[in-house]
Amino acid sequence: MSATPKATEAPLLTVRNLSVAAGHGPERRTITVATDLDVARGEAIAIVGESGSGKSLTAKAIARLLPQNVFASGSIRFDGLELMEIPEPHMQRIRGRRISMLLQDPFTMMNPLMRSGLHIEEMLSDRSEFSSRAARSAELERRLGEVGITGEKVAQRLPFQLSGGMCQRVALAAALARDPELLIADEPSTALDVTTQAEIMKLLKRVQVGRGMSLILITHDLRLAFSTCDRVYVLYAGSLLEVGGTRGVEADPQHPYTLGLLLSEPPADRRVPQLIAIRGSVPRPDDVADRCAFDDRCDWRADICRVAKPALSEIAPGRSSACVRLGDIRGEMRALRRRALEPIPTRPADATRSAPLLRVRDLTKTFVLRRGQHVHALKGVSIDIAPGESVGLVGESGSGKTTLGRCIVGLETPTSGTIEVAGVAIADYSKLSRESRSRIRRTLQMVFQDPYSTLNPRHSVRRSVGEALRAAGHHRGDAHARVHSLLRDVGLPEDYSGRRPASLSGGERQRVAVARSLAVGPKMLVCDEPISALDVSVQAQILNLFKRLHDEFGLAYLFITHDLAVVRQVVDRVYVLYRGEIVEEGTTEEVMTQPRHPYTRRLIDSIPRSAVSRNL
Amino acid sequence: MNVQGKAVHAERIRHVAAAPGLVIAAMFVIVVVAICAIFGSGIAPDSPFTQRLAVGDQPPSAEFLAGTDLLGRDVLSRTIHGAWTALVGPIVIAAGAFTIATLLGLVSGYLGGMVDTIIMRWVDFMIALPAPLVAIVVVGVVGGGYWTAVLVLIILFTAPDTRIVRGAVLEQRPLPYIDAARVLGVSKTRILFVHVLPNVLPIVLAYVLLDFAFALINLAGLSFLGLGVEPGTPDWGRMLFENRTILFSNPAALLLPAAMIILTAVSMNLIGDWLFERLTR
Repeated sequence: MSATPKATEAPLLTVRNLSVAAGHGPERRTITVATDLDVARGEAIAIVGESGSGKSLTAKAIARLLPQNVFASGSIRFDGLELMEIPEPHMQRIRGRRISMLLQDPFTMMNPLMRSGLHIEEMLSDRSEFSSRAARSAELERRLGEVGITGEKVAQRLPFQLSGGMCQRVALAAALARDPELLIADEPSTALDVTTQAEIMKLLKRVQVGRGMSLILITHDLRLAFSTCDRVYVLYAGSLLEVGGTRGVEADPQHPYTLGLLLSEPPADRRVPQLIAIRGSVPRPDDVADRCAFDDRCDWRADICRVAKPALSEIAPGRSSACVRLGDIRGEMRALRRRALEPIPTRPADATRSAPLLRVRDLTKTFVLRRGQHVHALKGVSIDIAPGESVGLVGESGSGKTTLGRCIVGLETPTSGTIEVAGVAIADYSKLSRESRSRIRRTLQMVFQDPYSTLNPRHSVRRSVGEALRAAGHHRGDAHARVHSLLRDVGLPEDYSGRRPASLSGGERQRVAVARSLAVGPKMLVCDEPISALDVSVQAQILNLFKRLHDEFGLAYLFITHDLAVVRQVVDRVYVLYRGEIVEEGTTEEVMTQPRHPYTRRLIDSIPRSAVSRNL
Repeated sequence: MNVQGKAVHAERIRHVAAAPGLVIAAMFVIVVVAICAIFGSGIAPDSPFTQRLAVGDQPPSAEFLAGTDLLGRDVLSRTIHGAWTALVGPIVIAAGAFTIATLLGLVSGYLGGMVDTIIMRWVDFMIALPAPLVAIVVVGVVGGGYWTAVLVLIILFTAPDTRIVRGAVLEQRPLPYIDAARVLGVSKTRILFVHVLPNVLPIVLAYVLLDFAFALINLAGLSFLGLGVEPGTPDWGRMLFENRTILFSNPAALLLPAAMIILTAVSMNLIGDWLFERLTR
């Protein structure tokens, strides 16, 4: 955050007119068009974009690591050297030594058969000053110290014996081992747990500033970009829409898409009546080749947006936007932003908790692994959910939150403990009578995380939803009309009923999945991370859908998530699950403002600062 | 989006049309063999059974395009009629093994536990048996020729196919769409046949074609050993056996059926490989 680039100094990296495309001839697919980037020495920039924006391939193009059948054109000048023109052996010497990369999944980045220290030593071995073993091992220790690993015998372990965060630290040390001038970090924290994410990002920032190294951070998370980088490039469907200093973009976005992204991120520090969602989903670059890439989804679109593809134009020193209507709409954008942030008073917790809809007592679940090891996923968990109440279950991977959800809907049978739904004991679904089992099925439904496999790929939307109707004992006669009305309920047009999942976007699939579970007329939905696999701009749409269904149908929720900002928006009460135990419980307001358990505090501290609320 | 859907469809059709030339040639071979099998008597220049001892063991001539065998039967006509036993047996074997293996694989993979263990141990046992030897022994002892051989081969082929289906089912089983159906209270049978089966079918279908090729070779081998078809039946394997003594006087009598066995088996293999790659990608 420190250094604004000195005007006299030439940038370390200058990318001009970089276009990336896949395939040849009629099969050719555009990935990005005419991207310009500058990175000064010691500067951290972020390329922010959703999936399909081309951000990762842009980064790979800079390191000349594009996959087969993907080609780049344009100019990439690195410290006076034209990277597009130098031969591959020369490029190989630049990679690692001068430009290094850190990837998303630390486990696939490291050789599973090599001790973790060797990954770093390997990089040091060709330098004369580290030719002796003693010098190398001293250096190794120093390097691990730099990424916060001390004392332990981490270097001796194999990658799979380390935790994700530890592994990412080793990977970072390996990426830094040859002291590169530029580090490209592609979603370096996305695959990690929330609390670990925050640690890794802090570490990355510290190392970058400490070394005076340049950093390109590739991320889908604006908040993360703001808290780590000096400047931000917003990439959408292959085109840059906005460029500017972090502070400026955060305080006053100058493109409707950036504003939309900012607003659709649920704020963690307050509850808003409705998230401002961007409608639709990300287009393919080729479909928007001759107009503004954001045209379809923009609230301010006009004919001028479709005349040609607007280029980035400078609106202030170091600040550019690709919005041609900016002059007309700036005021409206600011007004929308202020409106979006008005908090609503949180509902007082329901006093009538007499007859809970769901009652879980002392639930334990132990998995026996093949070698006879026992894994205690749940250790005596008790929760209550009243009719129409929206309850959050927060925890990291391995906390047992998914197991609890699966036990409740009968996908797993608990080892001990009781689950009651509307007064019926359902801990073991197989012991229920056919009648009460089908009654419970009609009371409780589940929404799953992965939108890509939540629907049978070979069934049309009508068939998937129709099957749920039939399972609920619906007559065939009006099934057609029911499917249509369910699709309307989840905000999809009726003519979607003939489609297969392959022709739906992630958000649309998740809507169909919700329609399917609504088909049986449930009183409660167990939602297992229902939005975490979706694009940021789509997440808000689905969250709004959940909020609306809660209000309209009086649905109760058990919302399983790792994201406290999501919890703040849809949930009245929270349970915090840590290593199979509930460590904290309370209203959302209480837990978020006065966390009692240290783990909860850690979770809250790990939220990157909310972008919307600051600097208004 | 509808337009896009259509474009995807068109792309798919183009992909099928863009099958490599070799695969198209293989499809052509199979079509020709199938036409011979069905319309053999219409195409063949002569009856496959008419004996003319006076003109036995003749090399190819204008009258007998592929010459005659020891009994003076027209080799070309016998080869054309031989397409029937070359197709029917392997088709029955592939279809039979496919049906049984699909049922066993679905049940084994989806239910797991004891059922899975029993079925898989049986599969292990069957795979450990040397298939051609078992077929020779059983057909030799039991008798019954061609159809006994077909039955034995169905049973032998079922085992490896079951393992493949089970593997495909295991891949689908943890996916959320199966969980969703369970939570909705959809019955196990319905989940198996309406949800799992259509999603494993492509892989299984590709394997069925490979089964066909192996079945053809095994059946021809049995016929060569005199254990398959009745003596006198026009059959490629049987022709190899009958005409082995006239290899030097009329090579066509041996080479023509041999070439047909190889061509048909290789063609089916090529189509199967190509389908497998297309459907599982």
